[in-house]
Amino acid sequence: MAGKHEILQDRPGGHLCTLGNLAIVRGALEAGVQFFSCYPGTPSSEVGDTFARIAEDADIWFEYSINEKVAIEVAFGASLTGVRSMCSMKHLGLSYASDPASTMPYVGVEGGMVIVSAGDPSLITSPNEQDQRHFSRFLYYPVFDPATPEDARLMTRYAFELSEKTRLPVLMRPTTRVCHSGGMVELGALPAKRNEVRFVKDPTRYVPIPTNAKRMRMELSDRFRRAEEMLASSPFFPRTGGGRRGIIASGIGYAYVSQVIEDLGLSEQMTLQQVGAYPIPESVLLSFLDEVDRVLVVEELTPLVEECVSLAAFRNQRSVEVFGKHSGHFPIENEYSPDLVEDAVRRFAGLGARSVPSVDVPALPARPPVLCPGCPHRTSFQRVREVFGKKTVYCNDIGCYTLGYGEPFQACDVLLCMGSSISQASGIARTTGQRTVAYIGDSTFFHSGLPALANAVQAHDDITVVILDNYITAMTGFQPSVTTDRCHPVASVRKEDEVHRENGSPFSIEDAVRGLGITDVFSIDPFEEGTAREALKAAKTGRGVNVVVCHSPCVVNDRRSRKEQRPVFAIDQDACNACSLCVRQLGCPAIFVVDGEYVIDQDLCDGCELCADLCTRDAIRPVAAEVAK
Amino acid sequence: MTSAEGAGRSSGRRILIVGTGGQGVLTAARLLCDVFVDRGHHVVSGQLHGMAQRGGSVQSSVIVDGGISPRIGRGRADFVVGFEPVETVRALSFLSEQTVVYLNVAPVIPFVLGQQYVLKEGDGRYPDVEKLLSCVRESTPHVHTLDATEQAKASGSTKALNMVMLGCLLGSELLPVSAEQFWSFGEARLPPALRKVNHAAFYRGVEHSRSFHAGVVAS
Ligand SMILES: Cc1ncc(C[n+]2csc(CCOP(=O)(O)OP(=O)(O)O)c2C)c(N)n1
Ligand code: SF4
Ligand code: SF4
Repeated sequence: MAGKHEILQDRPGGHLCTLGNLAIVRGALEAGVQFFSCYPGTPSSEVGDTFARIAEDADIWFEYSINEKVAIEVAFGASLTGVRSMCSMKHLGLSYASDPASTMPYVGVEGGMVIVSAGDPSLITSPNEQDQRHFSRFLYYPVFDPATPEDARLMTRYAFELSEKTRLPVLMRPTTRVCHSGGMVELGALPAKRNEVRFVKDPTRYVPIPTNAKRMRMELSDRFRRAEEMLASSPFFPRTGGGRRGIIASGIGYAYVSQVIEDLGLSEQMTLQQVGAYPIPESVLLSFLDEVDRVLVVEELTPLVEECVSLAAFRNQRSVEVFGKHSGHFPIENEYSPDLVEDAVRRFAGLGARSVPSVDVPALPARPPVLCPGCPHRTSFQRVREVFGKKTVYCNDIGCYTLGYGEPFQACDVLLCMGSSISQASGIARTTGQRTVAYIGDSTFFHSGLPALANAVQAHDDITVVILDNYITAMTGFQPSVTTDRCHPVASVRKEDEVHRENGSPFSIEDAVRGLGITDVFSIDPFEEGTAREALKAAKTGRGVNVVVCHSPCVVNDRRSRKEQRPVFAIDQDACNACSLCVRQLGCPAIFVVDGEYVIDQDLCDGCELCADLCTRDAIRPVAAEVAK
Repeated sequence: MTSAEGAGRSSGRRILIVGTGGQGVLTAARLLCDVFVDRGHHVVSGQLHGMAQRGGSVQSSVIVDGGISPRIGRGRADFVVGFEPVETVRALSFLSEQTVVYLNVAPVIPFVLGQQYVLKEGDGRYPDVEKLLSCVRESTPHVHTLDATEQAKASGSTKALNMVMLGCLLGSELLPVSAEQFWSFGEARLPPALRKVNHAAFYRGVEHSRSFHAGVVAS
């Protein structure tokens, strides 16, 4: 098994310490998943990236889809042929894919289908937080809410069975803490391959036109009830401890609270109930309520469990006191922490607050993310800014280039979601007549920018769209995008679009854009100052929709395949007059100001030359690359 | 402060490793997890890091033979391995009087401080390192400091910083895995080209740790 990924180990009964996301992969493998699609997004990305690595060895159909809506539809199509299919995305992705997702439970799956949609309480890498557990009520999805990697493995494996038995697609919803935490998983058996499949025609079964959909609606309720029954006898609602004080907890909150009651020595005096899935079977709630008179609910985001508990108690005339969000023990915003949980448990258990010694700490500098040294987006921002100036309205989009926000580029006046830069630019340009630039990356452009661009053409808007093609989906961990040439190293395709295509990539952004009827299309390498400036000037004075495509590889990804080390740069202190132009205009993290002197950290410099181009005194010059860099 | 350090705690050993992106915190945490699992221990781990890998704060927890929670509560870290002074002070709330701290005194200057134009507030300086160290010492008497970046450089590469720090932690003999057991497990998992450098770095850390714990004042 040399060379195979550790997640493929065929060692039933063995143990592995792995991340929650990889445990999901393992659970799917143990369930015999055969088809996988995804669109990357933190914190879900390792699920897809792991499938990408093992797809060949495990004989699984794999794709990085163009967007989440497509990912779900492709996987659903595969499920209709009878194979077990899975797709993964972040919470925002499931919102984007909610149209197909909302009708899939009506039509029903054939092979079990599991959607992984990772949540991000505390907005660690997202512009909003969502509680996707509501998909259970909103769209009739059974939803799993793991607390640990081992939960994630067992629940994923079980989810395929549940899906097949009820014909419902099932949602696996881990949060950032579970996705990215490591824990012990036990390895289950990997099944043998299944036989060939065929799609069997049956339009009344698969076509939800109203006459069929009305019937499906009634069947859906039955199937959902059946799912609740199955969950009632599943192992995902364990109860431990004992005593009339009870804690009911879900997700990572369950992991925190079990540690907290151990640390406080309360494990034996409290009844601890885990909620691992939704809908919560009423039988689970009632037998828990039989044992307790006071309940603390520990769940992140909306009070879903809390309301289920209160409702079950009310409907069945159980008199219990319920504490949680409504009582002010917990907030509805943000993720929980062990400390937050400890404070609430102490209050619930009547223990005093814990005293913590406080130490006087000086103000600590933050370390916000910045564009990497040598990033092509920096160069594009610099060129565009030079030509379009301060007054232009800059609509930005989702990718590394979002870091154009603030100083020194101020390249992000508005931002919403993937693909929105172009549509927002339309709205602003049409109503005000102001000059408007939309920035969008290669991956995001094909994800959802293309329809917005067609829309702008159809509406005759006057906007400039700058497509930042770095040949990769960088922000989420360097997944390929449609412009990535998978057969050839990205390094070889630095120049024009022509070279790019000769190297075998099937895609040309320029062809796609011209196909929409846009004639003003400029291809530039942002590092070629003269041609870049000419193209941008032409775009600025043009009318209608025009497009500038900036081709230059992400340096972090490019560095892996770069054959020669580029020379790094240094500032000649005698020539430098401390004009601060390089710092004020570029924000390159390799350039520092130390006691009034401008210096380049050569361990960080990527040798892009941008600062050297900019320096009017020729003070920034290449030096031989260090040997042991 | 010898073998009694860190003893007599509730279940498990809770280790927190902190630093900045690119210092090798995550690799160190991963290696630690793997060696404990290899030797039959139960392990959970957690990561806390923001938007991009690039230069941000990184916190990684490794909990050996504890429960299922991947995060450590206030005042409940048994060990803090600080790759950087500011990041160690950022993690101060995890310390108690019993926490054993290994602390690299070499700062990594955040780039925002190097480029003052973005600074809207604050005095624009990296805090005084001595002041940072005294904050840590106020929280626990068991603080062992060294210039680990310098030690890594002397071993052949600053990239081996994480090995110096792991050497400190495992040289303490306060964990259920010895330094030798760690190295014989870890060496095969590290890039072969850097094996010699890593070996030198690791044992520099081990030696420092042994002299700390023997009560010898390290220079
Ligand atoms: C609907 C949705 N799906 C996924 C993501 C996660 N995500 C953040 S940035 C990004 C892609 C960026 O790729 P690209 O546009 O090529 O920009 P780059 O980072 O390469 O500069 C993705 C998928 C998201 N924010 N929203
Ligand atoms: S990862 Fe690539 S695209 Fe993203 S900031 Fe760094 S160089 Fe730029
Ligand atoms: S050449 Fe200048 S702008 Fe480019 S990475 Fe080096 S210091 Fe930064």
